[in-house]
Amino acid sequence: MTDQGIKSRPIYATLRRDSSGRRHLYVSAGSGPPPDALAQDGLESWTVAPTTCEGTLPRPEGVGERRFRSTRYLMETLGRRLAGERMGLRLYVEGPEDFLWDVYGVAQAHGLGRQEIFLKQSGTLARRVQCVHCKTFNEGVTTTIVRCAGCGANLFVRDHFSRRLSAFQGVKIDAEQPGDVPQAERAYP
Amino acid sequence: MGIQFRKDERFRENFSYVNSDAGVLRFPFPFGEDRYMYSVNIEPHIPGGPTPAFAHAFDIDEHYIAECQERAMVLADDPGRCQVLPHMMPAQWDTLELLMESLAADYPEHFSLDKDGDTWRWINRPLGIDQSFVFGRPETLPCAPFEYITRQAQGDFTLQDQRDDNLFVDGGMVTTQADWSLDFDIGMSFHEWHGPVPLAHETGVFDRALRFLLRLQYGHPVRRLNWTMTINPRLDTSPENYPDWGPDRTTVTPENVAEKVHLRVELQTLFRLPRSNAILFGIRCYLLSLKDIERVEKWRKRLHRVLTTLPPELAEYKGLTRYRDTIIAHLAPHDDGAELSPGIQPDQTVLPPA
Ligand code: HEM
Repeated sequence: MTDQGIKSRPIYATLRRDSSGRRHLYVSAGSGPPPDALAQDGLESWTVAPTTCEGTLPRPEGVGERRFRSTRYLMETLGRRLAGERMGLRLYVEGPEDFLWDVYGVAQAHGLGRQEIFLKQSGTLARRVQCVHCKTFNEGVTTTIVRCAGCGANLFVRDHFSRRLSAFQGVKIDAEQPGDVPQAERAYP
Repeated sequence: MGIQFRKDERFRENFSYVNSDAGVLRFPFPFGEDRYMYSVNIEPHIPGGPTPAFAHAFDIDEHYIAECQERAMVLADDPGRCQVLPHMMPAQWDTLELLMESLAADYPEHFSLDKDGDTWRWINRPLGIDQSFVFGRPETLPCAPFEYITRQAQGDFTLQDQRDDNLFVDGGMVTTQADWSLDFDIGMSFHEWHGPVPLAHETGVFDRALRFLLRLQYGHPVRRLNWTMTINPRLDTSPENYPDWGPDRTTVTPENVAEKVHLRVELQTLFRLPRSNAILFGIRCYLLSLKDIERVEKWRKRLHRVLTTLPPELAEYKGLTRYRDTIIAHLAPHDDGAELSPGIQPDQTVLPPA
Protein backbone atom coordinates (compact mmCIF):
# COMPACT_ATOMS: atom_id res chain seq x y z
CA MET A 1 0.00 0.00 0.00
CA THR A 2 2.87 2.41 0.70
CA ASP A 3 4.41 1.95 -2.77
CA GLN A 4 1.75 1.96 -5.47
CA GLY A 5 4.47 1.94 -8.12
CA ILE A 6 3.61 5.42 -9.39
CA LYS A 7 6.70 7.21 -10.63
CA SER A 8 5.63 10.82 -10.18
CA ARG A 9 6.50 10.60 -6.47
CA PRO A 10 9.66 12.52 -5.68
CA ILE A 11 12.70 10.85 -4.09
CA TYR A 12 14.79 12.97 -1.74
CA ALA A 13 18.51 12.97 -0.95
CA THR A 14 20.15 14.26 2.21
CA LEU A 15 21.15 17.91 2.24
CA ARG A 16 24.75 18.79 1.38
CA ARG A 17 26.31 22.19 0.96
CA ASP A 18 26.65 23.18 -2.70
CA SER A 19 30.03 24.90 -2.90
CA SER A 20 29.17 26.62 -6.18
CA GLY A 21 26.79 28.90 -4.25
CA ARG A 22 27.79 32.25 -2.81
CA ARG A 23 25.02 32.57 -0.23
CA HIS A 24 23.26 29.71 1.53
CA LEU A 25 19.80 29.82 3.05
CA TYR A 26 18.28 26.94 5.01
CA VAL A 27 14.53 27.03 5.62
CA SER A 28 12.78 24.46 7.76
CA ALA A 29 9.21 23.83 8.78
CA GLY A 30 10.58 22.60 12.12
CA SER A 31 12.43 24.35 14.92
CA GLY A 32 15.60 22.24 15.03
CA PRO A 33 19.07 23.31 13.92
CA PRO A 34 20.30 22.78 10.35
CA PRO A 35 22.10 19.49 9.61
CA ASP A 36 25.86 19.50 10.26
CA ALA A 37 26.65 19.08 6.57
CA LEU A 38 25.22 22.54 5.99
CA ALA A 39 26.17 24.32 9.18
CA GLN A 40 29.28 26.23 8.23
CA ASP A 41 30.09 29.89 8.21
CA GLY A 42 27.65 32.11 6.46
CA LEU A 43 24.65 29.82 6.58
CA GLU A 44 21.39 31.58 7.22
CA SER A 45 18.84 29.45 8.98
CA TRP A 46 15.10 30.10 9.05
CA THR A 47 12.95 27.92 11.29
CA VAL A 48 9.44 27.85 12.67
CA ALA A 49 8.61 27.99 16.36
CA PRO A 50 6.69 24.95 17.64
CA THR A 51 3.00 25.50 18.35
CA THR A 52 3.72 25.07 22.07
CA CYS A 53 5.10 28.64 21.89
CA GLU A 54 1.54 29.83 21.32
CA GLY A 55 2.56 32.86 19.33
CA THR A 56 5.53 33.93 21.43
CA LEU A 57 8.77 34.23 19.49
CA PRO A 58 11.81 32.83 21.34
CA ARG A 59 14.98 34.72 20.38
CA PRO A 60 17.28 32.73 18.10
CA GLU A 61 20.73 31.99 19.44
CA GLY A 62 23.25 32.27 16.61
CA VAL A 63 24.12 34.72 13.89
CA GLY A 64 22.02 34.38 10.74
CA GLU A 65 19.22 32.56 12.56
CA ARG A 66 15.65 33.62 12.22
CA ARG A 67 12.46 32.26 13.77
CA PHE A 68 8.89 32.53 12.49
CA ARG A 69 5.57 32.10 14.23
CA SER A 70 4.24 29.87 11.40
CA THR A 71 5.23 28.28 8.11
CA ARG A 72 2.87 30.67 6.44
CA TYR A 73 4.72 33.65 7.84
CA LEU A 74 8.02 32.12 6.77
CA MET A 75 6.74 31.57 3.25
CA GLU A 76 5.57 35.15 2.83
CA THR A 77 8.82 36.55 4.12
CA LEU A 78 10.72 34.22 1.82
CA GLY A 79 8.85 35.56 -1.18
CA ARG A 80 9.86 39.12 -0.34
CA ARG A 81 13.42 38.08 0.38
CA LEU A 82 13.82 36.21 -2.92
CA ALA A 83 12.38 39.12 -4.88
CA GLY A 84 15.52 41.06 -3.91
CA GLU A 85 18.06 38.24 -4.45
CA ARG A 86 20.79 38.08 -7.07
CA MET A 87 22.49 35.05 -8.64
CA GLY A 88 24.41 32.73 -6.34
CA LEU A 89 21.85 31.87 -3.68
CA ARG A 90 21.41 28.23 -2.73
CA LEU A 91 18.21 27.27 -0.98
CA TYR A 92 18.02 24.22 1.31
CA VAL A 93 14.55 23.18 2.38
CA GLU A 94 13.54 20.69 5.04
CA GLY A 95 10.09 19.66 6.19
CA PRO A 96 6.95 17.75 5.19
CA GLU A 97 6.39 17.19 1.50
CA ASP A 98 3.74 19.88 1.00
CA PHE A 99 6.02 22.46 2.66
CA LEU A 100 8.93 21.44 0.42
CA TRP A 101 7.05 21.96 -2.79
CA ASP A 102 5.31 25.12 -1.61
CA VAL A 103 8.74 26.62 -0.97
CA TYR A 104 9.96 25.24 -4.28
CA GLY A 105 7.08 26.98 -6.04
CA VAL A 106 7.84 30.31 -4.36
CA ALA A 107 11.52 29.96 -5.25
CA GLN A 108 10.79 29.11 -8.87
CA ALA A 109 8.41 32.01 -9.17
CA HIS A 110 11.33 34.23 -8.14
CA GLY A 111 13.68 32.81 -10.73
CA LEU A 112 15.62 30.14 -8.82
CA GLY A 113 16.50 27.17 -11.00
CA ARG A 114 16.15 23.48 -10.31
CA GLN A 115 19.87 23.17 -9.54
CA GLU A 116 19.75 25.92 -6.91
CA ILE A 117 17.16 24.32 -4.63
CA PHE A 118 17.68 21.23 -2.47
CA LEU A 119 14.85 19.42 -0.73
CA LYS A 120 14.78 17.00 2.18
CA GLN A 121 11.63 15.46 3.56
CA SER A 122 11.33 15.27 7.34
CA GLY A 123 8.67 15.39 10.02
CA THR A 124 5.17 14.11 9.40
CA LEU A 125 4.41 11.99 6.33
CA ALA A 126 0.88 13.38 6.29
CA ARG A 127 -0.23 14.36 2.82
CA ARG A 128 -2.01 17.21 1.18
CA VAL A 129 -4.59 15.57 -1.05
CA GLN A 130 -6.41 17.33 -3.85
CA CYS A 131 -9.81 15.94 -4.72
CA VAL A 132 -9.69 15.47 -8.50
CA HIS A 133 -13.47 15.84 -8.67
CA CYS A 134 -14.09 19.08 -6.75
CA LYS A 135 -10.48 20.44 -6.52
CA THR A 136 -10.62 20.90 -2.72
CA PHE A 137 -7.33 20.48 -0.87
CA ASN A 138 -7.51 18.15 2.12
CA GLU A 139 -4.58 18.87 4.46
CA GLY A 140 -2.74 16.54 6.79
CA VAL A 141 -4.13 13.24 5.49
CA THR A 142 -2.64 10.22 7.29
CA THR A 143 -4.91 7.48 5.94
CA THR A 144 -5.26 5.56 2.68
CA ILE A 145 -8.82 6.82 2.25
CA VAL A 146 -10.15 10.22 3.29
CA ARG A 147 -13.55 11.84 3.12
CA CYS A 148 -13.25 14.99 0.99
CA ALA A 149 -14.01 18.12 2.98
CA GLY A 150 -15.30 19.75 -0.21
CA CYS A 151 -17.69 17.27 -1.85
CA GLY A 152 -17.96 14.42 0.66
CA ALA A 153 -16.61 11.72 -1.66
CA ASN A 154 -14.47 9.02 -0.06
CA LEU A 155 -11.13 9.51 -1.78
CA PHE A 156 -8.42 6.95 -2.33
CA VAL A 157 -5.07 8.70 -1.90
CA ARG A 158 -3.08 7.88 -5.05
CA ASP A 159 0.69 8.18 -5.14
CA HIS A 160 0.36 10.48 -8.16
CA PHE A 161 2.01 13.69 -6.97
CA SER A 162 1.93 17.21 -8.42
CA ARG A 163 4.91 19.37 -7.48
CA ARG A 164 3.02 22.44 -8.72
CA LEU A 165 0.17 21.82 -6.29
CA SER A 166 2.37 20.16 -3.62
CA ALA A 167 -0.40 17.59 -3.45
CA PHE A 168 -1.31 13.98 -4.04
CA GLN A 169 -4.37 13.07 -6.06
CA GLY A 170 -7.57 11.84 -4.41
CA VAL A 171 -10.02 9.77 -6.48
CA LYS A 172 -13.45 8.59 -5.34
CA ILE A 173 -12.85 5.00 -4.30
CA ASP A 174 -16.42 3.77 -4.74
CA ALA A 175 -17.21 5.68 -7.94
CA GLU A 176 -18.07 2.46 -9.78
CA GLN A 177 -19.95 0.80 -6.94
CA PRO A 178 -21.23 3.60 -4.70
CA GLY A 179 -21.12 2.66 -1.02
CA ASP A 180 -18.41 0.05 -1.47
CA VAL A 181 -15.80 1.80 0.70
CA PRO A 182 -13.10 -0.35 2.32
CA GLN A 183 -11.73 0.41 5.77
CA ALA A 184 -9.20 3.26 5.72
CA GLU A 185 -5.74 2.33 6.97
CA ARG A 186 -3.28 4.61 8.70
CA ALA A 187 -0.41 4.82 6.22
CA TYR A 188 1.16 8.29 6.39
CA PRO A 189 1.86 9.06 10.07
CA MET B 1 -17.33 15.92 -52.38
CA GLY B 2 -17.35 17.02 -48.78
CA ILE B 3 -17.86 15.05 -45.61
CA GLN B 4 -21.50 14.51 -44.60
CA PHE B 5 -21.46 15.71 -41.01
CA ARG B 6 -23.86 14.10 -38.57
CA LYS B 7 -26.01 16.47 -36.60
CA ASP B 8 -27.63 15.77 -33.24
CA GLU B 9 -25.08 13.31 -31.91
CA ARG B 10 -24.74 13.09 -28.14
CA PHE B 11 -21.73 11.75 -26.27
CA ARG B 12 -23.35 11.96 -22.81
CA GLU B 13 -26.82 11.23 -21.27
CA ASN B 14 -29.29 10.03 -23.97
CA PHE B 15 -26.36 8.90 -26.06
CA SER B 16 -26.79 9.08 -29.81
CA TYR B 17 -23.82 7.97 -31.86
CA VAL B 18 -23.63 6.08 -35.15
CA ASN B 19 -20.83 5.26 -37.58
CA SER B 20 -21.53 4.90 -41.30
CA ASP B 21 -20.08 1.80 -42.99
CA ALA B 22 -17.25 3.95 -44.30
CA GLY B 23 -16.81 5.28 -40.77
CA VAL B 24 -16.40 1.72 -39.46
CA LEU B 25 -13.91 0.75 -42.15
CA ARG B 26 -11.72 3.82 -41.59
CA PHE B 27 -11.42 3.11 -37.83
CA PRO B 28 -7.78 2.95 -36.72
CA PHE B 29 -8.02 -0.52 -35.17
CA PRO B 30 -5.06 -0.68 -32.78
CA PHE B 31 -4.02 -4.34 -32.90
CA GLY B 32 -1.64 -5.48 -35.64
CA GLU B 33 -0.90 -8.73 -33.82
CA ASP B 34 -2.79 -11.23 -31.65
CA ARG B 35 -1.11 -10.01 -28.46
CA TYR B 36 -0.74 -6.53 -27.04
CA MET B 37 1.94 -5.05 -24.84
CA TYR B 38 3.31 -1.53 -24.43
CA SER B 39 6.12 -0.65 -26.81
CA VAL B 40 7.64 2.44 -28.44
CA ASN B 41 5.20 2.10 -31.33
CA ILE B 42 6.14 5.35 -33.07
CA GLU B 43 6.17 5.74 -36.86
CA PRO B 44 6.45 8.71 -39.24
CA HIS B 45 3.16 10.58 -39.59
CA ILE B 46 3.09 10.61 -43.37
CA PRO B 47 -0.14 10.80 -45.35
CA GLY B 48 -1.55 7.37 -46.04
CA GLY B 49 -1.74 4.27 -43.94
CA PRO B 50 -3.84 1.19 -43.32
CA THR B 51 -7.13 3.13 -43.21
CA PRO B 52 -8.22 6.61 -44.43
CA ALA B 53 -7.96 7.94 -40.84
CA PHE B 54 -4.21 8.26 -41.50
CA ALA B 55 -4.58 10.30 -44.70
CA HIS B 56 -4.18 13.79 -43.23
CA ALA B 57 -2.20 15.64 -40.59
CA PHE B 58 -5.42 16.18 -38.59
CA ASP B 59 -8.25 13.81 -39.41
CA ILE B 60 -11.76 15.22 -39.73
CA ASP B 61 -14.71 12.83 -39.99
CA GLU B 62 -18.49 12.68 -39.89
CA HIS B 63 -18.55 13.44 -36.13
CA TYR B 64 -16.72 16.78 -36.46
CA ILE B 65 -19.56 19.17 -35.70
CA ALA B 66 -20.98 17.10 -32.86
CA GLU B 67 -17.56 16.71 -31.23
CA CYS B 68 -16.94 20.46 -31.36
CA GLN B 69 -20.33 20.99 -29.71
CA GLU B 70 -19.49 18.43 -27.03
CA ARG B 71 -16.19 20.21 -26.36
CA ALA B 72 -18.01 23.52 -25.94
CA MET B 73 -20.35 21.91 -23.38
CA VAL B 74 -17.45 20.48 -21.37
CA LEU B 75 -15.67 23.84 -21.33
CA ALA B 76 -18.83 25.66 -20.24
CA ASP B 77 -18.99 23.36 -17.19
CA ASP B 78 -15.26 23.26 -16.52
CA PRO B 79 -13.07 25.96 -18.12
CA GLY B 80 -10.01 24.37 -16.46
CA ARG B 81 -9.99 21.71 -19.18
CA CYS B 82 -8.14 24.23 -21.32
CA GLN B 83 -5.06 25.73 -19.69
CA VAL B 84 -1.78 27.00 -21.05
CA LEU B 85 1.05 28.31 -18.88
CA PRO B 86 1.95 31.94 -19.66
CA HIS B 87 5.37 31.27 -21.21
CA MET B 88 3.77 29.14 -23.96
CA MET B 89 2.30 31.99 -26.03
CA PRO B 90 4.61 31.38 -29.03
CA ALA B 91 3.53 27.71 -29.01
CA GLN B 92 -0.10 28.82 -29.01
CA TRP B 93 0.41 30.71 -32.28
CA ASP B 94 2.44 27.85 -33.73
CA THR B 95 -0.51 25.54 -33.02
CA LEU B 96 -3.03 27.88 -34.57
CA GLU B 97 -0.93 28.21 -37.70
CA LEU B 98 -0.31 24.48 -38.07
CA LEU B 99 -3.97 23.57 -37.63
CA MET B 100 -5.33 26.28 -39.90
CA GLU B 101 -2.84 25.57 -42.68
CA SER B 102 -3.32 21.82 -42.49
CA LEU B 103 -7.11 21.91 -42.40
CA ALA B 104 -7.32 24.45 -45.25
CA ALA B 105 -4.92 22.39 -47.40
CA ASP B 106 -6.47 18.99 -46.64
CA TYR B 107 -10.17 19.95 -46.64
CA PRO B 108 -10.49 23.00 -48.94
CA GLU B 109 -14.24 22.49 -49.32
CA HIS B 110 -14.69 22.98 -45.56
CA PHE B 111 -11.92 25.35 -44.43
CA SER B 112 -10.00 28.21 -45.98
CA LEU B 113 -7.22 30.51 -44.88
CA ASP B 114 -6.22 33.75 -46.62
CA LYS B 115 -3.14 35.65 -45.54
CA ASP B 116 -2.32 39.25 -46.27
CA GLY B 117 0.85 39.79 -44.31
CA ASP B 118 -0.09 39.28 -40.67
CA THR B 119 -3.77 39.87 -41.38
CA TRP B 120 -5.41 36.48 -41.75
CA ARG B 121 -8.94 35.45 -42.63
CA TRP B 122 -10.08 32.02 -41.47
CA ILE B 123 -13.27 30.42 -42.73
CA ASN B 124 -14.69 27.29 -41.10
CA ARG B 125 -17.81 26.39 -43.07
CA PRO B 126 -19.10 23.43 -41.00
CA LEU B 127 -19.15 25.62 -37.87
CA GLY B 128 -20.19 28.81 -39.68
CA ILE B 129 -17.10 30.82 -38.68
CA ASP B 130 -15.58 33.69 -40.66
CA GLN B 131 -12.82 35.33 -38.60
CA SER B 132 -10.34 38.00 -39.58
CA PHE B 133 -7.48 38.58 -37.14
CA VAL B 134 -3.88 39.67 -36.88
CA PHE B 135 -1.43 36.82 -36.39
CA GLY B 136 0.52 37.37 -33.16
CA ARG B 137 -2.10 39.68 -31.65
CA PRO B 138 -4.31 37.71 -29.21
CA GLU B 139 -6.71 40.62 -28.68
CA THR B 140 -7.89 40.24 -32.30
CA LEU B 141 -9.34 36.77 -31.54
CA PRO B 142 -12.35 35.99 -29.32
CA CYS B 143 -10.12 33.90 -27.01
CA ALA B 144 -6.47 32.84 -26.73
CA PRO B 145 -5.13 31.31 -29.98
CA PHE B 146 -4.66 27.75 -28.70
CA GLU B 147 -8.16 27.59 -27.25
CA TYR B 148 -9.56 29.29 -30.33
CA ILE B 149 -8.27 26.73 -32.80
CA THR B 150 -8.60 23.58 -30.67
CA ARG B 151 -12.26 24.38 -30.11
CA GLN B 152 -12.52 23.82 -33.87
CA ALA B 153 -10.66 20.51 -33.99
CA GLN B 154 -11.52 16.92 -33.09
CA GLY B 155 -9.53 15.28 -30.31
CA ASP B 156 -7.49 16.59 -27.41
CA PHE B 157 -4.23 18.50 -27.69
CA THR B 158 -1.36 19.17 -25.31
CA LEU B 159 1.68 21.43 -25.58
CA GLN B 160 5.08 20.24 -24.40
CA ASP B 161 7.89 22.67 -23.65
CA GLN B 162 11.40 21.28 -24.11
CA ARG B 163 14.04 22.23 -21.52
CA ASP B 164 16.54 20.50 -19.20
CA ASP B 165 16.60 17.50 -21.59
CA ASN B 166 12.98 16.83 -20.79
CA LEU B 167 9.46 17.61 -21.93
CA PHE B 168 6.96 19.44 -19.73
CA VAL B 169 3.23 19.39 -20.37
CA ASP B 170 2.72 23.13 -20.07
CA GLY B 171 -0.67 23.41 -21.70
CA GLY B 172 -3.59 21.57 -23.20
CA MET B 173 -7.16 21.29 -24.37
CA VAL B 174 -8.39 18.10 -22.75
CA THR B 175 -12.10 17.34 -22.90
CA THR B 176 -12.25 13.81 -24.39
CA GLN B 177 -9.63 12.07 -22.31
CA ALA B 178 -9.21 8.54 -21.02
CA ASP B 179 -9.18 9.30 -17.32
CA TRP B 180 -6.34 11.78 -16.74
CA SER B 181 -6.46 15.34 -15.49
CA LEU B 182 -4.69 18.20 -17.24
CA ASP B 183 -5.46 20.43 -14.27
CA PHE B 184 -3.48 18.06 -12.04
CA ASP B 185 -0.72 17.14 -14.50
CA ILE B 186 0.04 20.56 -16.01
CA GLY B 187 3.71 21.46 -15.54
CA MET B 188 4.84 17.84 -15.04
CA SER B 189 7.80 16.24 -16.82
CA PHE B 190 7.50 13.27 -19.20
CA HIS B 191 8.10 10.57 -16.56
CA GLU B 192 5.99 12.35 -13.94
CA TRP B 193 2.83 12.62 -16.03
CA HIS B 194 3.31 8.98 -17.12
CA GLY B 195 3.74 8.03 -13.45
CA PRO B 196 0.54 5.97 -13.11
CA VAL B 197 1.19 3.75 -16.16
CA PRO B 198 2.16 0.17 -15.12
CA LEU B 199 5.04 -1.93 -16.54
CA ALA B 200 6.20 0.56 -19.20
CA HIS B 201 8.65 2.36 -16.89
CA GLU B 202 10.35 -0.90 -15.94
CA THR B 203 10.77 -2.01 -19.55
CA GLY B 204 12.38 1.29 -20.55
CA VAL B 205 9.54 2.30 -22.89
CA PHE B 206 9.34 5.82 -21.48
CA ASP B 207 13.12 6.36 -21.42
CA ARG B 208 13.34 5.44 -25.10
CA ALA B 209 10.22 7.38 -26.11
CA LEU B 210 11.51 10.54 -24.41
CA ARG B 211 14.95 10.23 -26.03
CA PHE B 212 13.26 9.91 -29.40
CA LEU B 213 10.96 12.88 -28.88
CA LEU B 214 13.72 15.22 -27.72
CA ARG B 215 15.17 14.83 -31.23
CA LEU B 216 11.87 15.27 -33.08
CA GLN B 217 12.42 17.47 -36.13
CA TYR B 218 10.26 20.22 -37.55
CA GLY B 219 8.49 18.94 -40.67
CA HIS B 220 8.79 15.27 -39.62
CA PRO B 221 5.81 14.54 -37.38
CA VAL B 222 5.31 11.07 -35.90
CA ARG B 223 2.30 9.09 -34.72
CA ARG B 224 1.29 6.15 -32.57
CA LEU B 225 -1.91 4.41 -31.49
CA ASN B 226 -3.12 3.97 -27.95
CA TRP B 227 -6.36 2.32 -26.82
CA THR B 228 -8.74 1.60 -23.99
CA MET B 229 -12.44 0.79 -23.66
CA THR B 230 -15.38 2.95 -22.71
CA ILE B 231 -18.91 2.03 -21.72
CA ASN B 232 -21.36 3.95 -23.91
CA PRO B 233 -20.09 6.35 -26.58
CA ARG B 234 -18.93 8.83 -23.97
CA LEU B 235 -16.15 11.23 -24.92
CA ASP B 236 -15.64 12.95 -21.57
CA THR B 237 -14.28 10.16 -19.38
CA SER B 238 -12.32 12.60 -17.24
CA PRO B 239 -11.28 11.83 -13.67
CA GLU B 240 -13.14 15.01 -12.71
CA ASN B 241 -16.44 13.39 -13.75
CA TYR B 242 -15.57 9.81 -12.76
CA PRO B 243 -18.28 9.74 -10.05
CA ASP B 244 -20.80 10.25 -12.88
CA TRP B 245 -19.48 7.77 -15.45
CA GLY B 246 -17.79 5.19 -13.18
CA PRO B 247 -21.05 3.31 -12.44
CA ASP B 248 -21.47 2.60 -16.19
CA ARG B 249 -18.77 -0.05 -15.81
CA THR B 250 -21.12 -2.18 -13.73
CA THR B 251 -23.93 -2.12 -16.29
CA VAL B 252 -22.45 -4.49 -18.88
CA THR B 253 -24.42 -7.74 -19.36
CA PRO B 254 -24.24 -10.56 -21.95
CA GLU B 255 -27.35 -9.03 -23.55
CA ASN B 256 -26.09 -5.45 -23.94
CA VAL B 257 -22.33 -5.96 -24.24
CA ALA B 258 -22.20 -5.44 -28.03
CA GLU B 259 -24.01 -2.09 -27.84
CA LYS B 260 -22.50 -0.75 -24.64
CA VAL B 261 -18.82 -1.55 -24.93
CA HIS B 262 -16.78 0.71 -27.21
CA LEU B 263 -13.20 0.35 -28.25
CA ARG B 264 -11.62 3.75 -27.76
CA VAL B 265 -8.60 4.43 -29.91
CA GLU B 266 -6.33 7.44 -29.78
CA LEU B 267 -4.45 8.32 -32.93
CA GLN B 268 -1.66 10.29 -31.32
CA THR B 269 0.42 12.68 -33.40
CA LEU B 270 3.52 14.67 -32.42
CA PHE B 271 4.66 17.81 -34.25
CA ARG B 272 7.73 19.91 -33.55
CA LEU B 273 6.62 23.55 -33.67
CA PRO B 274 8.77 26.04 -35.58
CA ARG B 275 9.06 29.19 -33.45
CA SER B 276 8.62 27.91 -29.91
CA ASN B 277 10.48 24.59 -30.39
CA ALA B 278 7.64 23.08 -28.36
CA ILE B 279 5.92 19.81 -29.32
CA LEU B 280 2.24 19.67 -30.15
CA PHE B 281 0.66 16.35 -29.14
CA GLY B 282 -2.65 15.55 -30.82
CA ILE B 283 -4.83 12.87 -29.22
CA ARG B 284 -7.52 12.11 -31.77
CA CYS B 285 -10.14 9.85 -30.19
CA TYR B 286 -12.21 7.28 -32.12
CA LEU B 287 -15.04 5.24 -30.64
CA LEU B 288 -16.38 2.05 -32.21
CA SER B 289 -18.98 -0.22 -30.64
CA LEU B 290 -18.27 -3.91 -30.21
CA LYS B 291 -21.24 -4.51 -32.47
CA ASP B 292 -19.56 -2.62 -35.32
CA ILE B 293 -16.18 -4.22 -34.65
CA GLU B 294 -17.81 -7.63 -35.06
CA ARG B 295 -18.79 -6.76 -38.61
CA VAL B 296 -15.10 -6.93 -39.54
CA GLU B 297 -14.08 -10.56 -39.37
CA LYS B 298 -10.40 -9.94 -38.75
CA TRP B 299 -11.01 -7.34 -36.06
CA ARG B 300 -13.48 -9.41 -34.03
CA LYS B 301 -11.16 -12.44 -33.97
CA ARG B 302 -8.13 -10.37 -33.15
CA LEU B 303 -9.85 -8.40 -30.40
CA HIS B 304 -10.86 -11.71 -28.83
CA ARG B 305 -7.24 -12.93 -28.84
CA VAL B 306 -5.83 -9.67 -27.49
CA LEU B 307 -8.31 -9.53 -24.62
CA THR B 308 -7.72 -13.17 -23.72
CA THR B 309 -3.96 -12.65 -23.40
CA LEU B 310 -3.88 -9.07 -22.07
CA PRO B 311 -1.57 -8.73 -19.03
CA PRO B 312 -3.73 -8.24 -15.91
CA GLU B 313 -1.87 -5.04 -14.97
CA LEU B 314 -2.97 -3.47 -18.26
CA ALA B 315 -6.57 -4.66 -17.88
CA GLU B 316 -6.68 -3.18 -14.38
CA TYR B 317 -5.07 0.12 -15.41
CA LYS B 318 -7.46 0.51 -18.34
CA GLY B 319 -10.46 -0.24 -16.11
CA LEU B 320 -11.59 -3.36 -18.01
CA THR B 321 -11.61 -5.78 -15.11
CA ARG B 322 -15.34 -5.73 -14.38
CA TYR B 323 -16.44 -6.57 -17.93
CA ARG B 324 -13.52 -8.13 -19.79
CA ASP B 325 -14.83 -11.69 -19.31
CA THR B 326 -18.25 -10.69 -20.64
CA ILE B 327 -16.66 -9.42 -23.85
CA ILE B 328 -14.49 -12.52 -24.21
CA ALA B 329 -17.50 -14.82 -23.74
CA HIS B 330 -19.37 -12.85 -26.37
CA LEU B 331 -16.55 -12.99 -28.94
CA ALA B 332 -15.27 -16.54 -28.31
CA PRO B 333 -17.88 -18.42 -30.44
CA HIS B 334 -16.90 -16.29 -33.44
CA ASP B 335 -13.17 -16.93 -33.34
CA ASP B 336 -12.16 -20.13 -35.14
CA GLY B 337 -8.48 -19.60 -34.38
CA ALA B 338 -7.58 -19.19 -38.07
CA GLU B 339 -4.41 -17.25 -38.80
CA LEU B 340 -4.95 -13.51 -39.37
CA SER B 341 -2.97 -11.18 -41.59
CA PRO B 342 -0.47 -8.97 -39.79
CA GLY B 343 -1.33 -5.27 -39.54
CA ILE B 344 -4.48 -3.40 -38.66
CA GLN B 345 -6.18 -3.00 -42.07
CA PRO B 346 -9.68 -4.53 -42.15
CA ASP B 347 -9.07 -6.86 -45.15
CA GLN B 348 -12.62 -6.30 -46.44
CA THR B 349 -14.31 -3.44 -48.28
CA VAL B 350 -17.94 -4.28 -47.59
CA LEU B 351 -19.64 -4.83 -44.27
CA PRO B 352 -22.49 -7.22 -43.48
CA PRO B 353 -25.67 -5.40 -42.38
CA ALA B 354 -25.52 -4.06 -38.82
C1 HEM C 1 4.62 13.94 -25.43
C2 HEM C 1 3.34 13.83 -25.34
C3 HEM C 1 2.64 12.84 -24.48
C4 HEM C 1 1.72 13.15 -23.53
C5 HEM C 1 1.25 14.55 -23.13
C6 HEM C 1 1.27 11.91 -22.94
C7 HEM C 1 0.35 11.83 -21.92
C8 HEM C 1 -0.09 10.67 -21.34
C9 HEM C 1 -1.02 10.61 -20.25
C10 HEM C 1 -1.59 11.83 -19.53
C11 HEM C 1 -1.25 9.32 -19.97
C12 HEM C 1 -2.17 8.78 -18.86
C13 HEM C 1 -1.40 8.63 -17.57
C14 HEM C 1 -2.33 8.46 -16.36
O1 HEM C 1 -2.86 7.35 -16.16
O2 HEM C 1 -2.54 9.43 -15.62
C15 HEM C 1 -0.48 8.53 -20.90
C16 HEM C 1 -0.46 7.16 -20.97
C17 HEM C 1 0.41 6.46 -21.76
N1 HEM C 1 1.39 6.97 -22.60
FE1 HEM C 1 1.69 8.91 -23.05
N2 HEM C 1 1.92 10.87 -23.53
C18 HEM C 1 2.76 11.38 -24.48
C19 HEM C 1 3.59 10.66 -25.31
C20 HEM C 1 3.74 9.29 -25.26
C21 HEM C 1 4.64 8.56 -26.10
C22 HEM C 1 5.54 9.13 -27.19
C23 HEM C 1 4.52 7.26 -25.76
C24 HEM C 1 5.30 6.14 -26.41
C25 HEM C 1 5.63 5.03 -25.89
C26 HEM C 1 3.53 7.18 -24.69
C27 HEM C 1 3.10 6.02 -24.06
C28 HEM C 1 2.05 5.94 -23.17
C29 HEM C 1 1.49 4.68 -22.70
C30 HEM C 1 1.94 3.28 -23.08
C31 HEM C 1 0.45 5.01 -21.82
C32 HEM C 1 -0.52 4.04 -21.13
C33 HEM C 1 -1.76 4.05 -21.95
C34 HEM C 1 -2.85 3.04 -21.63
O3 HEM C 1 -2.58 1.89 -21.29
O4 HEM C 1 -4.02 3.40 -21.79
N3 HEM C 1 3.08 8.44 -24.41
N4 HEM C 1 0.23 9.39 -21.73
